Parts: sequence; C-alpha cells; structure tokens
Amino acid sequence: MELTDKNDPYEAALPPIDKYREMYNEAKSIRGISLWQDAWRRLRRDWVSMTALSFLVLLALAAIFTPLFPLQSPREQDLANRVALPPEFVSTTKVTNKAGEPEVAPVSLNLVDLKDKEFERRVGELWTTLNPFDQLLLNVRLAIFGDWCVPSLCGTDLLGRDLLSRLFYGARVSLIVGLVATLVSLLIGVSYGAIAGYAGGLVDDLMMRIVDIMYSVPFIFLVLFVITILSEDEVKKQLEGYGISRIVILYILIGAVYWLTMARVVRGQIISLKNEQFVDAARTIGASGFRIVFMHLVPNVLSIVIVYLTLTIPAVMLFEAFLSFLGLGVEPPDVSWGMLSEEGTRVITPVKIYWWLVVFPALALASTLYSLNFLGDGLRDALDPRMKNR
Amino acid sequence: MIKFLLKRMLWMVLTMWVVFTISFFLMWTVSPEGALLSERQLPEAIKQNLERYYHLDQPLTYRYFIVLWEYLHLNPGPSMKLIDKSILEILREGLPISISLGVLGLSFALILGFASGIISALRRQTVIDVTFRSIATLGIAIPNFVLAGFAIIIFVFQLKLFPAAGWGRPIDLVLPSLCLAAPFAAYISRLTRTGMLEVLGQDYIRTAYAKGLMPTTVVLKHAFRGAILPVVSYLGPATAGILTGSLVLERIFFIPGMGSHFIEAVLQKDHPVSLAIVMVYTFLLFTMNTLVDLSYGLIDPRVKLDK
Amino acid sequence: MAEEIIMADAAEHENKPGKVLLDVRDLAVEFRTEDGNFKAVRGVDFELRAGETLGIVGESGSGKSVTNLAMLGLIPQPPGKITSGSARYDGLDLLRMSDKQLSEIRGNRIAMIFQDPMTTLNPFLTIDEQLTEVTRKHLGLSYKDALDRAIEMLEKVGIPGANRRVFNYPHEFSGGMRQRVVIAMALSCDPDILIADEPTTALDVTIQAQILELMQKLQDEHGTAIVMITHDLGVIANMANDVLVMYAGRKVEQAKVNDLFTDPRHPYTLGLLNSIPRIDEQVGAELSPVAGQPPDMSQTIQGCAFYPRCPYRIDECLQVDPPLVQVGTGTMHACIRDVTTLDPPTPK
Repeated sequence: MELTDKNDPYEAALPPIDKYREMYNEAKSIRGISLWQDAWRRLRRDWVSMTALSFLVLLALAAIFTPLFPLQSPREQDLANRVALPPEFVSTTKVTNKAGEPEVAPVSLNLVDLKDKEFERRVGELWTTLNPFDQLLLNVRLAIFGDWCVPSLCGTDLLGRDLLSRLFYGARVSLIVGLVATLVSLLIGVSYGAIAGYAGGLVDDLMMRIVDIMYSVPFIFLVLFVITILSEDEVKKQLEGYGISRIVILYILIGAVYWLTMARVVRGQIISLKNEQFVDAARTIGASGFRIVFMHLVPNVLSIVIVYLTLTIPAVMLFEAFLSFLGLGVEPPDVSWGMLSEEGTRVITPVKIYWWLVVFPALALASTLYSLNFLGDGLRDALDPRMKNR
Repeated sequence: MIKFLLKRMLWMVLTMWVVFTISFFLMWTVSPEGALLSERQLPEAIKQNLERYYHLDQPLTYRYFIVLWEYLHLNPGPSMKLIDKSILEILREGLPISISLGVLGLSFALILGFASGIISALRRQTVIDVTFRSIATLGIAIPNFVLAGFAIIIFVFQLKLFPAAGWGRPIDLVLPSLCLAAPFAAYISRLTRTGMLEVLGQDYIRTAYAKGLMPTTVVLKHAFRGAILPVVSYLGPATAGILTGSLVLERIFFIPGMGSHFIEAVLQKDHPVSLAIVMVYTFLLFTMNTLVDLSYGLIDPRVKLDK
Repeated sequence: MAEEIIMADAAEHENKPGKVLLDVRDLAVEFRTEDGNFKAVRGVDFELRAGETLGIVGESGSGKSVTNLAMLGLIPQPPGKITSGSARYDGLDLLRMSDKQLSEIRGNRIAMIFQDPMTTLNPFLTIDEQLTEVTRKHLGLSYKDALDRAIEMLEKVGIPGANRRVFNYPHEFSGGMRQRVVIAMALSCDPDILIADEPTTALDVTIQAQILELMQKLQDEHGTAIVMITHDLGVIANMANDVLVMYAGRKVEQAKVNDLFTDPRHPYTLGLLNSIPRIDEQVGAELSPVAGQPPDMSQTIQGCAFYPRCPYRIDECLQVDPPLVQVGTGTMHACIRDVTTLDPPTPK
C-alpha cells in the first residue's frame, strides 16, 4: 500500500500488492516443519528416550564439572586406615594422630591452609596435573566447600582410594574415549562410504570389496598387538617426543576398528540419494564432486548416521573396558570405568566379596550404555516414523 | 554355487595373504627381537644359536618368504617362548577348547535369542515383552567380564551350582559359554523381535491366516524365515565378537584355549605364535562370513549369489 | 432397529434364487489408537446368496475391507475391536467362534484373495509349499495328492507348464500370474464363498480383464459366491449382481447392479458415477470427482457423514444420521432427500 502513490501513473501497471501480501502472509503462516523439528517433537513424547537423554546430559555435565564437586581425591591412598571400606555415610575416618594414637577425624583434603609451593605439591598429590579450567573449578570448590568432602558413598578400594571420586573422574575418561573414538570411526566411515557410493562403478566395487575383506580380518587382535607395542616404554617415549600420547593412538585405533558398518550404511544411503534431482541441480551449477558429496549428500544421511552414532558409542566404550580388562586400556594415574570394573572383578575371591567394587562401576557403565541404547532406539523411531512400533 | 565357492576360496587366499603380510611385517619391524628381547642375560653364543634357529640373522624379507613357504605347508614352525613346543601343538591343544566354547556360546545365543525374540514379538507391549527387552538391553550394556564376575559371585560362590574355574569336564564349559553368549543372545533377541514384528505386518502373513493355518504354523513356517534374515547377517560380526569375548572369558575362567595363548604370546612378543593364531582367526572369520552369505541365499530365494 | 425391520422386509419381498450363505448384521469395528477410537465400520448389514456376486464399493478408508477382514477374524486385536454385530455362516456366528473353529472355515469354506499379488504370497516358500498346505490342512490330503490338486488348480487358472512351475518361487512369476496363483490357492478347497479384496487394483488393465474373466469362469463352474470389494465401478458393472455402497463405515446404498447404474439414489453414489470418464462424453469435458475429504472417523459424526461433501445438503441433514429406506424393488439408500426429483447441482 505504502508503495503505491495515489497519483502514481504506473499504479495500474503494478501487480496487485495487497493480494500478494495476503498470499505471502498465508504462506508464512503455514510454516513447514523440518525433519529435525518433527523428529524432536516425536522424541519428546517418548518418555524412555527423554529419560535417557536427560541422564546423559546430566552425566556429561557432571563429567565436565567434576572438580567442582566436594569429592575426595581419586588418587590418594591410605593403606593404614581406609582399605576396602564398604559404603559409608559419615564423612569421618580413623586417622593416626601425631602421638601415634588412633582417633576419628573428618575426611579432609588438608588443602585450604596450605600456601603456594606447598599447595601446589598437595594438589599434585591429590589430582596429578590439572588444566587451567579444572584449576578454576577447584578454586571455586575450595571457596564453597573448603576441605570438606562427601563421605565414601561407594566405599573404598583395596588401596584405600575413594570409589565415588574415582567413578566421577573415570566418567571423564570413559566418555571422552567413547566420543572421540566414535568420531574417528564416523569420519572414516562416512567419508569412505560416501565416496564409494558417489563414485559408483569400479571404484565402488573395489572399495566395498576391501570392506568385505576387512570384515574377515580379526582387527581386534591386530589392535591388541599394536597396543602392546605402544605400551613399551621406549616406544612411548619416542611417541611423546612427537607429541602424541598413547591414549590418542588408542582413540584412533578403536575408531579404526568400528568404521566398517558405518561405511556400508552410508554408502547404501548415498546410492539411493545420488540420483535425486537436487544432486543433478548441484551438478548443473558446476559443483565439484567433493562438494556434492560433503555439502549436499552427507547432510542428508545425517539422521541415520546419528542413530548409528548412539549405537557405536556403547560398542566403543565396551571395547575400552575390554582393553582395560586385558591391562591395555588407559594407564594409571588415569582411571576409566572399564579399569574400575576390571579392578572390581579381579578381587572376586571365595573368601571375601567386595561387592561395591563390582557393583558401582558396573552400574555406572551399564546405566550409561543403557541410556545410549534407549536413546538410539528412540531416535531411530523419531527420525524414521515408518519404523515406529516395530 | 560351486562358482561362488571357488570365488570365495580365491578371496580367502588373498585375504589371508594380506593379513599374513601385514601382521608379519608389523610384528617384526616394531620389535625385531621378538621373545628373545626379554632374555638379555643369555650368553652371546647361545643367543646367536637361537637367532640362527629362528632365522633372526637373516634379512626380514628373506624370512618372510621362508615363513610364507612354511605356512603354505601348514607348518608354522616352533614357538619362541615355549621352546619345546611347536605352534601346531599349541593350536592342537587350544583350538578344540576354544571352538567348543565358541560353538556352545553361539548355540546358547541363538536359542535364547530366537526364543525370547519371538515371544517378545508375539506378546508385544506386555509385561513379558518389556521384561525380555530390559534383560536384553542389560546384556548389551554390561561388559562380558563384569557379567562373568556377577555370575561367579552368584552361581559359584553363593549357590555353588558350578565349579569355580578349571578345565576338563563338560560342566566347566557351561558358565563360561553362557557368559560369552549373553550379549549376543541379547542382540539376536532384539533383531528377531524387530524382524518378527516387521514380517508379521506383511500381507503374506495375513494370507497365511486367511488360509486357515494355526498361529504356530504361521509363525514358525511363514514368518520365521523372513524374521531371521537380519540375524543371519549379524552372525558374521557375532563370530568376530565371540572370538574377542572368548579372550576375556578364557582368562577369567582359566581356560587354556587359543585366547589365553594369544594374549600370552602378544604380551611376551612370541611372534610366531601370535601370527599363527591371527591366521587361524582370519580363517575362522572368513569361513563364517562365507557360510553366512551362503545361508542367506538358501533362506531368501530372491538373493542371488554372485559375488 | 429401524434398519433391521426394513432389512427383514426386503428379504421377504425379494425372491433371489439360492439360499442365504452369509448373513451379516449390524457389524461395527473400532480401532483403538493413541489418537482416539477410530470407528472403521459403523453398523453394516448384508447377505450373500449362493452363486451370486455381491459388490462392495467405496473409497479408501470407507470400511469395505475391514468389514470382511473382521468377519474372518483377520483384523489385529488389539488395536482392532469388533464392538457389535453378527455374521452368520451355516447357522453359526463367525464373530463368536473360537480361533480353532474359525481356522477350520478360513481358506476352506470361506477363502480370501487380496489386492497386491506381489506381497500376498510368501517370498520364502515355493508355490507348491504354499498351495499344498491348504488342501493338506483342510481336506486331509497327502502331499502327493495335494500336489496333484495344486497342479490341477494351476492349470485351471491358466498357468502354462503348471507341473514345472509349481516348484518355483513367487518372485519367478509376473504380477498377473501371481494373482492367478493366489486365486488357485483360494479356490483349491472349493469354498462356498470367495472374498476378493480389490483383486485387480494392482494389475495392468489387460491383465485385470483376464483375471475378472477367470473369476467369472470359475464362479460359473463351481457356483462359488463372491464378495467383490473394489473402488472400481467398472469391475462392479462386469461382475456383481448386487451392489453395496459404503461411505465412512456405513452402508449408504444397496441395489441391483442395473438399478445402481441407472437409478442411483444416494448423492455419494451419484458422485461416484459422475466421476467415471465416459466414452460418450464430449472430448475435453471435465471429470467431476467427489470434492472434499471423507470425515475423520475418530470423531463423533453429527448427522449424515456425507454432509460436508454433499451437493444436495440441507440443514435437516445435520439433525439425524439418515436411516436406510427402501424404494422400488430392492434399492435401499440412506438419504433423507429424494435426489431423483432434484436438479443436478451446479458445479462451483
């Protein structure tokens, strides 16, 4: 309206703006729902998936902000007084005082009163090295809670270390291993599958034949072999010279084992997509093959990739536990849930059963993997409504 | 069919050769001394003798062909650690144990998985279904060795149903193979349930009911075949998983199988033994994958065996 | 209630040959889903006489298939539920039979063929397996006799080389051939009633004609009564003696086939007839489909279900769900207006 002046001689020639505006408004009011919005709406109605999702979010937050919580040290041993204590709910412990007599004192970090050098030495004793972010969180914690610690709710291990604290710090390592290794497998699998699927013909045949062969290669055994070699002190030093820590290689190796299925799935999807018109459209405006694959095709297989992702993370975390069991996983002073479970099962004897050492790590691992599995199922249903109710 | 098998044989030879080559060079380049590494205090003369015995004094490529030649004659030579034993003897001891553990585990997994999966699908959304699915997810979410730990605490120490560990009697195999089977049974159960529900929604199932067949006939004759296709294709990866799992369980239950030998060989850099066991595993995996493809073709007549 | 009385009258007045094989009364089926109770069938009655063909027409979702599936206990329960009605066959109510009794009748006395021959045969089993299991179960034949019977049936439905082809898998047959196999399977126990649920919809037009011809031929030979469910009025015109028009889970019109085409009484039937392309029509004349969408059957329908789409609607139509009324020699319709006296509506 405001565009057309009353005296405008061209008014008659102009399109009927009111009508277009009306159409525009109407079109605007019918907003399309994207696949993701739709999926999210369906997922929100599924309380199992939502419970799993909230649990995982809380867990991730807990892992990130672990130093903030008033936990005991995950490292400090106390062979004299605190060996293999069952779960306790009082934050006190027996200590031997200077006179050599036993007395009951609160569990304490003995940190607040220390200054500078002493303080740093004690922090090193309690947590090895802390990065600046963790240091910050620790300072906040000391400001709020002081030396006070949560009681050993999950008991202590055979070296007198607090299991609860070890579980929290283990969560950091386990989750990181799960995520990073999965991302590695994702990267390899998606690129490989997408390229094979898009290239088609001989290249595809060859690439997929290689995958077929690899299915018959007992990778895990080769991985074990490589890891033992990497655990050699000499090799480790050499690697550290290059600035690569052993755990990075661990990620890459685990990731490299789990990409085969992902490659197959992605290839299948790409093949069914690559004859769609939007790919032709991209090609006609001169997009390169690389661009078509990674900008146009891969985003379209994202949903299936995400579903598969939630199912790969548990597999990878189990593999980490498996490596820990063989003594080839992360190394002390780092802790992971796999390692804690292994420590728990190792001390099973007919004489005495330290049930808390088996139950709590298993519970942590199982509830996380459980949630990931349920979330994966829920996501699959949400992203692919056809699959609903199956 | 014969053409398919011949082709597969060819691929197997190729695969095994590739695995052999990669493993061989990987092992010997990163730790050239093998198991002799740990015995530095040996007198020089003996050490040289040993080196000659294992051809360690020869260049690596030359040794590669020697070992390859020996492998072609199915003679992987002596172990480096257990000097008085040949690798064939080690395999002859370990393989039957591991295979019976694996076969028993796989059978348990299939029986438990099929039964619970079918019942779950038929009694969908009931208490039974939810219970089975929760147990199945638990089986997937707990590491093998933790499960074995629980099993030992409950069945061995508390209920005293099974012997703790050891090897020799058939009963010794039951608990380990059940623990080995658990995650795979869980997965197979889920696959069967999904497959069953999908097939039960098909038109041909309605046709079967319309023909007046009883529900059991419909499920077992008409639905089962279609429903287990995903399970069949899962058997390849499952075999790989069972091999891995047996490493853990042999260790927990002190079973002298191939897994135990492999771990030991790897930790002690007994390269000839590791290599031989890797080759055996490759062979087993390849055979299993071929069997899977073959049975896929037998179950689904629409599948053509053309690879 | 009123409907039943009318039905009874109709039965007396008419003198159809053959005895009543199947007598369905007031059948109602619901599907209970998260989104509410979906009333798929809302009280349908019909009867089927020996040797005759009853056509059931209606658009997708009108309840024509569900009516027949429910009768044979073939709707999944839950979510499906038969809320009322009876279906008498041979003096017994199919809806109150045990699964075992019902399975004696299914495939034996009452056989069914379905729409898509690509999916109705089990892809994992050979044809002989699928054909012989019916006769072995119901007629107690040995495998050998059953196989002979299967080959005989395949020959009868016109499958060349039947004694060889019987050992093939379904995927080795073309669509039309598969539908012939399905028909052979359905007829192999020589049933009294054949329920054909859109048997030609998924087929090419030429094949459609062949299949219909085959069914006609087999009906003449065996005297099988056929319930022909379709949305294709051409098929009805060819095959049916009586026609039942369904809309939104209800019977809205029932008539002899000639009466239906020459003297339709329900606006919906009229709409259907107007939507068929006619060869005598001017080139370029527009087809007039029945405008609008069928009602949401999970909601309670106020008054006549066809009201929103009806060109003849008046306010009274919203007051009552029109009962079936009889006119002439057997035509029944559920419309409170007499469309024959009204001017044809002008298209908007």
